Amino acid sequence: MALTLRTAVAGIVMTLVTAAGPAAALQAGGQEALAVRDSLGRNVVLPRHPEKVLSLQPEITRIVAALGAGDRLVGADYFILKHDHLFPIVFPGARDLPAVSNTPEDMNFEMVLRLDPDVIFVSPTELQMVDALQGKLKRPVAALASMGSFEKLVEEILLVGEILGREARAAELAADFRARVASVRRAVASVPAGERPRVYLSFWGMLTRTPVAYEPVDAAGGVNCALGMLPANLGTIATVAQAEQILEWRPDIVLVQGNYPPRERTVTTEGILRDKRFGSLPAVRNGRVYYTFGFWYWWDPALVLVETLYLARLFHPEATGPFDLEREANAIFKKYYGIEGAYSSLCRVLECGGWDER
Amino acid sequence: MKGKKGRLLIILFFLLPFLLTLASLSIGRYHIPPADLGKTLVRTVLPTSFPGVPPEYRDILLRIRLPRLLLALLAGAALSVSGASLQALFRNPLVNEYILGISFGAAFGAALSLVFLGKGFPPQIAAFLFALGAVLAVLLVSGRAGSHTVSLLLTGVIVSAFFQALLSLIEFFANPYALQSLFFWLMGSLSLATWADLVISLPVMALGTAGLVLMRWRLNVLSLSEEEAAALGVNVRREKLLVIVLTSLSTAAVTAVAGVIGWIGLIVPHLVRMMFGADNRKVVPLSAALGASVLIVADDITRVAASFEIPIGILTSLIGIPFFIFLLGRSRKVWL
Repeated sequence: MALTLRTAVAGIVMTLVTAAGPAAALQAGGQEALAVRDSLGRNVVLPRHPEKVLSLQPEITRIVAALGAGDRLVGADYFILKHDHLFPIVFPGARDLPAVSNTPEDMNFEMVLRLDPDVIFVSPTELQMVDALQGKLKRPVAALASMGSFEKLVEEILLVGEILGREARAAELAADFRARVASVRRAVASVPAGERPRVYLSFWGMLTRTPVAYEPVDAAGGVNCALGMLPANLGTIATVAQAEQILEWRPDIVLVQGNYPPRERTVTTEGILRDKRFGSLPAVRNGRVYYTFGFWYWWDPALVLVETLYLARLFHPEATGPFDLEREANAIFKKYYGIEGAYSSLCRVLECGGWDER
Repeated sequence: MKGKKGRLLIILFFLLPFLLTLASLSIGRYHIPPADLGKTLVRTVLPTSFPGVPPEYRDILLRIRLPRLLLALLAGAALSVSGASLQALFRNPLVNEYILGISFGAAFGAALSLVFLGKGFPPQIAAFLFALGAVLAVLLVSGRAGSHTVSLLLTGVIVSAFFQALLSLIEFFANPYALQSLFFWLMGSLSLATWADLVISLPVMALGTAGLVLMRWRLNVLSLSEEEAAALGVNVRREKLLVIVLTSLSTAAVTAVAGVIGWIGLIVPHLVRMMFGADNRKVVPLSAALGASVLIVADDITRVAASFEIPIGILTSLIGIPFFIFLLGRSRKVWL
């Protein structure tokens, strides 16, 4: 009964968190406007080509910067300014942005008013924030997120590009993103289903917390063990697996979220390899426990491409052939942010140089 | 409950946790055929026997199920006995095992470790130290254990509030991923118990619980007024301090490895009193037995109710509170 109820509730929430819909041109108060269906299924009217953008959704903040519109950001949320190791590297202007929040639930409304944004982007996981901003400030608020899907990320890039009037750049990035993912999928396409490794992902600083969907693993020719499980946290794609469940899945590879500087990691590859409870797992027996990047408040469009490449080489080196990941990754970051050596800089923080060497 | 029926029930109470432990070894997400359970246990003792038993059965039984069952057994007993002892000591049926600031002290310690200190200072150790630190603060602020019980209770509330405020401050500055780990810890779980965690915490829980069980007759005296207890020759200050130290040690040890598991220490002693009366000579040991059984069953439910792990603290509250209200409606006894 509890499971049935939970299934129903989860279904409702997952239905609510939908793909953002296409925009339609409108005229609002003499100003050109766009009608947008956001990830919560809300129809919102946004001003076209806003000059002042406030983004409380790190994924959108990164897309705005990648679209070359970072100078329109007037503020951002606490996470991207305080905890994101990559964003200050790819967008040095982040250091001058004011933070208007300190947790997902709080907001300095007076600060927001002072910044006077034309549009505010938020995460659909923070439902209360959406209503509070819309109700108190009467500013257009759009809740957008990829929800861990490549195609939704591409749609998000195109939509933000249209809102910002950066359609050409958005189309260029969308095409590049699709082409790179397709290239990886092609490289591993010939790997038979039986040879695709079963992969367990330990994310978000807990051994047993895992995403029920993670497209970089699928695209790289792996099978996410937790695929199809119900999310334990409604409105997200995270669940908490049982230790016995992990043993039953018998993963060939365990991936640990490494998107933290080493001193902040509470789950480590070494710890899992030493953990006698998991000694019978093929992944542990064969020493195939590695770090990967994982979600960092959803994705960075360049980093998730790098991660997909990294995983493809990790899962199927014979299919991808040898390549210099650091060089490829730096090229991807250059394409998306125009910054040289961004991946190398990130790797110095995360110490990700030898993640796949064991 | 008296007579032969009462004695039989008491025997059943003491057997129940051990029967449940054995039965629970077969419960879990990973299906192990019943015949293989026995073979796996025998193979553990005699490594050359039953070579066909898959090695993962051993990992599941000995490294996942057995540690968490032992933790449930001793944690349930420790929390219930602590609750019963403090209710008697403070002569207050609403007191629980966390009244002296242990839960928020431990939570603050775990938060400090998970958010700021990293893996160099494990949350289990930080939680244990700060839980004891909170009790020490209560004793110091209230003017030692010999002071009036109301003063101790009030200081417990104040110290709890202080650590709660510190916890909120850490939550405010934590990144959301560290916060998720902290929330999961605060909800209580036996799922990640390892032998390494238990090797220190189980003896501490056992020591505290056994000490309180040995003190059960003195709790009867301490539940009288302080003047009456002193007139009976009891050193009230020393005995009170001893009860506080033992309850604090065992509750802090539980909280350090399993997080905050609420309601066990409040509900179980009351259930026992409803059935067997308020004599602490019975209430304390029977609370240990029933508390162990309740927590084992609750842990079984968290493992099978859903495909993911449900934090046990949520379950004990969800089941415990309505059950307690139901019992309150059925009984008009004075319990202390």
